[in-house]
Formats: sequence, structure tokens, C-alpha cells
Amino acid sequence: MIFLAIRYLLERKRQTLLTLLGVFFGTLAFVAVSGFFKGFQGFLVQQLVNNAAQVHIEIRQDYLSDHVLDVPFFSNDLVHAFWNPPPAGVKGYLDIQNPQAWYNRLNADPRVEAYSPTMTAAALFNVGLISVAANLIGCNPNQQAKVTTIADYMIAGKFTDIAFGGNRVILGDELMKRLGAGMQQNILVSVGTNSAVPFKVVGRFYTGSRGLDLQAFAALNDVQRVNKTPNYVNEIGVRLKSYLDADALARSWAHLGPERVESWGDQNLNIQSVFAIQNALRLSMIMTVLIVAGFGIYNILNMTVNQKRQDIAILRALGYDTFDVVMLFFAQGMIVGVCGTVLGLGSGYLFCRWLQSLSFMLATPSNPQGHLHISLDWVIYVQATGLALLSAAIASVLPARAAGKLTPIDIIRQGG
Amino acid sequence: MGILSKHVGIKFGSPAVRVLNDISVEIKDGEFVSLSGRSGAGKSTLLYVLSSLDNPTEGSVEISGQDITKMNSIDLHRFRNEQMGFVFQFHYLIAELTSIQNVLMPAMKCKRDVELRPRAMELLEKFGLKEKHDRYPRQLSGGEQQRLAIARALIMKPKYLFADEPTGALDTVNAESVMKILQECSTQDKMTVIMVTHDPDFAAMAPRKIVLADGKIISDNATNPS
Ligand SMILES: Nc1ncnc2c1ncn2[C@@H]1O[C@H](COP(=O)(O)OP(=O)(O)OP(=O)(O)O)[C@@H](O)[C@H]1O
Ligand SMILES: [Mg+2]
Repeated sequence: MIFLAIRYLLERKRQTLLTLLGVFFGTLAFVAVSGFFKGFQGFLVQQLVNNAAQVHIEIRQDYLSDHVLDVPFFSNDLVHAFWNPPPAGVKGYLDIQNPQAWYNRLNADPRVEAYSPTMTAAALFNVGLISVAANLIGCNPNQQAKVTTIADYMIAGKFTDIAFGGNRVILGDELMKRLGAGMQQNILVSVGTNSAVPFKVVGRFYTGSRGLDLQAFAALNDVQRVNKTPNYVNEIGVRLKSYLDADALARSWAHLGPERVESWGDQNLNIQSVFAIQNALRLSMIMTVLIVAGFGIYNILNMTVNQKRQDIAILRALGYDTFDVVMLFFAQGMIVGVCGTVLGLGSGYLFCRWLQSLSFMLATPSNPQGHLHISLDWVIYVQATGLALLSAAIASVLPARAAGKLTPIDIIRQGG
Repeated sequence: MGILSKHVGIKFGSPAVRVLNDISVEIKDGEFVSLSGRSGAGKSTLLYVLSSLDNPTEGSVEISGQDITKMNSIDLHRFRNEQMGFVFQFHYLIAELTSIQNVLMPAMKCKRDVELRPRAMELLEKFGLKEKHDRYPRQLSGGEQQRLAIARALIMKPKYLFADEPTGALDTVNAESVMKILQECSTQDKMTVIMVTHDPDFAAMAPRKIVLADGKIISDNATNPS
């Protein structure tokens, strides 16, 4: 039957070609659009999960709301309490309560690649008359470099230089510019009401993100000393072997202490909702294209079934059964579907490769050529194949079944 | 053996119109039978019922001892493929296939097209179509098209050949050559041939002549009626 199906298709080259183009463009659009969106999302996710920790264990500070203190103060029997003024402010700890317990836990967990305790303090940086407020992050540079990519963004000095000698600091590019400071210069750093302490600038980093570049790094114990809070740690950043485990781990760790445990996904919920919208848009667009392609196949096959009624009749008289006749038309649809899909996948792949080579985006330190990020994930190609063939199969099976239901005798009586 | 119909009747449409009425007939293996009668007498309908293309509303039809009205679709189609040949007034050739491919269509169903290709060429040669074996049906004359259709009906060496006005669309010369082929099927190949025709001369060429009127057999010169 395949043989005859091919003969039929070749006999109507133009229609076959048009139908094939429908499937072709459907698949091509799927591969290209999915590659574009997935590439974009993957790029953003990589930025998020690579640059920062994937799980954050932070001090929890809850805002007090009007009635949180009703029960502790007046016990359960109370109907309604009137506060004047109502409770306000934050409730919680200023440091992680039992960091050693966390370290033990993190050391023991096989899913953890590295972790880094940090102490962040809001500090005032002074050079001469200029003072700039910025976060001073205290960390162990060896650990921090394993959890975040900060070390890759150094444009002067080495990130580990803060570990040696005491009171050394690395400034973000933006902070450096605002201060007008230079390398090896001494600057004054003060935290809260404590008196200023001199720090020596030993490095400079540039990430391209202004917020990040308005920060400074120093050794953990230096920051603890400046803040007059020895041994305090207010965050532990964790890098996992697989960033996909982050959500599950954050959920299970959340119950282990008073700290707040959040995954990179929790901290970027807005981006996730943007992704969801993008995915919905992508899917609906692709569905439309494939439905149109399916209709192309459906129309052509319906027409063919009608034109070939006499052939169907004689085939049945020659001993071809219902199944053979169904296959004759189903095969035509599927041949067009498979060829269109294969060509679409191939061209889609080449198109994606071409897009990848374009310098479209702003050059940043992590993307110096400014290339577009286009995903070539095999999942896209499997999905495209599945959807295209499914729509071809549905579009083919309906006319094919109708052909199978034709009885030869009615046709022969008419055409006899 | 042969073909045996018992009390076959058929009605069409609603209100039902009776087209065949209580037809019991036996056609023995190797017989050459002509079915004739006026237009609308039910000749074609009887032929289709006897050949399994149509189902009677009453009675039964046995071919080679098997009740074809009770056979399942796959067996029935295999039976048609292996044992029955059909020729109609219209040739029903497949326009997309060459002459030889058309002839081999029944053989393709049972994957014997390679094996039967020499036989197909023989048939084409016999019917004067050898040089035109790779032409398409539209490049053939009406007579050639009909002879090609007969070649297709004969490719599987069927036991039974059913022909519904096979000469209906042909001129005298072509019609006579078709008749000669059908006669040879009967005499040389010992096929059972049942042919519908309204041409009295052609009907007379068959040893057994059945005449229908209003869905009933009004005359049958069966040699030894059962
Ligand atoms: N599917 C059908 N529905 C209704 N009536 C039908 C149907 N098929 C056949 N008939 C009627 O049955 C009668 C016999 O038809 P049939 O085709 O067997 O005649 P015929 O003897 O072959 O005539 P002709 O010589 O014109 O071919 C006709 O009156 C026809 O109108
Ligand atoms: Mg008729």
C-alpha cells in the first residue's frame, strides 16, 4: 500500500509539496521558537544559579503584625485586644543560631557541593571627604568562590587576597568609581555607630550588574570584628551538585532551625512567572501552527479519498480489505508528516545554529561576544517530532477511516 | 462445489423495493453462464450477490462450499483475492500505475508480485499489450483498457470470473475480442465464468443461459438442474 500511497503523492506534486510545507514550517517554528525561549530562559537560570548560591540559609526576621502578641500576652480566652499603638518592628534573630549544626549537616549531605557562611553588614566607605554606603560582605574567599562566580569577575587582584594580612577589601567597580579609590589604597570602613576602621583595597570586580558592583568583600572575621559581632553569621550560601534539587532541599531544610531557607527559585518567583507566560505563549503559537498544518493534511486527504472512490472500490474487489484501504490513505498523510517533520527538524537546527552565531545581545563579562542564547536541547526536538507526527496522525486517520468505510458496491453501481 | 445460492432475496431503500426474489441457483465449477434480461431486471445485483460484493437481505450464497454471507472480512477479502476475478463495464484501472503495475495489483496484496511478473507479461502479450506495459491507462484505447482490466482479473488464476457487461463500452471489434478471451478462460483455463450482458449474440455464446425478469429467473437452460 505504501507503494501506491507514494504514487498518489507523486501524481499531485504541488498539493503534496504545499501540505509538506505546512508541516515543515510548523516543525521549524517549533524548533526555532522553543530554542529561542528555552535558550533565553536557560541563560537567565544559569546566570541566577551560577552567580549566586542556589540555596540560601538566612536569618529569619518576620514583621510584627497587629495581633501577633495577643495570645502571648493575654492567653487564648481573649476575644479581641486593642493595641495603642499596635506591635510593630521585626521579630527574629540577628545571626544564625547554630551555624555549626548547619555546617555538620551540609558536610554530611551528598547533594551539597560547597557552602559558604557570610556576614553582611551595611557599611559606610570613606575616602577623604567622599563617603558611600554599601554592603560589606564578610566571607571565607575559598568557600565563597566555590559557591558563587564572584572570583571570575575580578578585573584586578585575586579574590583570595582578602584572606591574608587582615583588613583587606575588594571593591565592586561601581563602588570603586564612586569612591574614586585606587588599588592598594587605604579606605575607612565604618559599620553602625562603631568607629571607622582602615581597610586596604586589594582587588576590584566587575559583573555588569550595578547592584552587585556596589558591594565590597572582606574576610569573614574582619567583618565580624568591625561589626563587633564575633562569630556572627547571617547567611549560609549553598551550592548543590544539581541546581534542580534546590527546591526540594530548601523545603526539607526549612524545618530544621529557626532560619529561613530559600532556593534560587523562591528568590526569583517573578522570573518564574515570566517563564510561565513565555511557555504558554510559545505553546499556543506552536499549537496554532501545527493545527494549521494538520488541517492541510486533512483537507488534501479528504479530497483524495473522494477523487479515488473508484480506486477504493476496485481495490476492495481485488481483495484489499478495510485495513489496507485505511493504510493507503493514512500512509499518505504520514509520509507527508514524516518528511515535513524531518526537514523541519533539520532546518530548525541549522536556523538555531545560525541565530547562535549572531551578535545580538549586549556584550557582558559572561557573554563577551553578545551571542544570542539558543537552546539546542534534544527535548525540543523530541517534542517537535511528537507533536508534528501526532497532528499528522490525527489529520490522516479521519479521512483514512472514512475511506475504509466506503463499500465497493455502492461505488461500482454508480460508476458502472 | 461451485456457486450455490439458496432463496436469495434483496431489497433496497425505504420503502423497500424488492430487486431479487427467492433466487436459488447452482453454478457448477467450470461452467460458462450468461445472465441476461432487460435493463433493471436485477442482473448486476444478482452478479454482485453471487460474487460476495453485495450482501443479500435473505437467503445464503455458498462458494466452494463456504457460506460467504457469514465469512469474516479478512477471510472474505483473501478469498476474493485468490479465487475471484472481476471485470466491469468500466475498467477501474488505477491512473497512477502503469499497465504492468495495474495487472500486478492483486498479486501485490499477497506479496507475489515479483513471482507473478512473468505471468503478467504473458497475459499482456496475449492481449496485445506487451509493448505498452509501461504506459499509463490514459495512454491506452478503450479496448486496450478493458483487456488490461481482464488481465488484472486473471493474474491470480482465479477459479471464478465475474463480468458485468464487459463489452458494454466497446465497439464491435473490441467487444468480440473480449468475448473471445472470456470463452478461452472457460474452455482453456476451465474457469467458472459468469457474465452479465444484454447483447443476445454474446449471451448465446455461453453454453448456459439464465434470463432474469423483475428479480426472478424466468429461464435457465441448465444441463442437469439440481
Ligand atoms: N442501491 C440501490 N438502491 C435502490 N435501488 C437499487 C439499488 N441498486 C439497484 N437498485 C434497483 O434495482 C433494480 C435492478 O438493478 P440492476 O442494476 O441489478 O439492474 P440490471 O439488470 O443490471 O440493469 P442494467 O441492464 O441497466 O444494468 C433497478 O431497478 C435499480 O434501480
Ligand atoms: Mg447492470
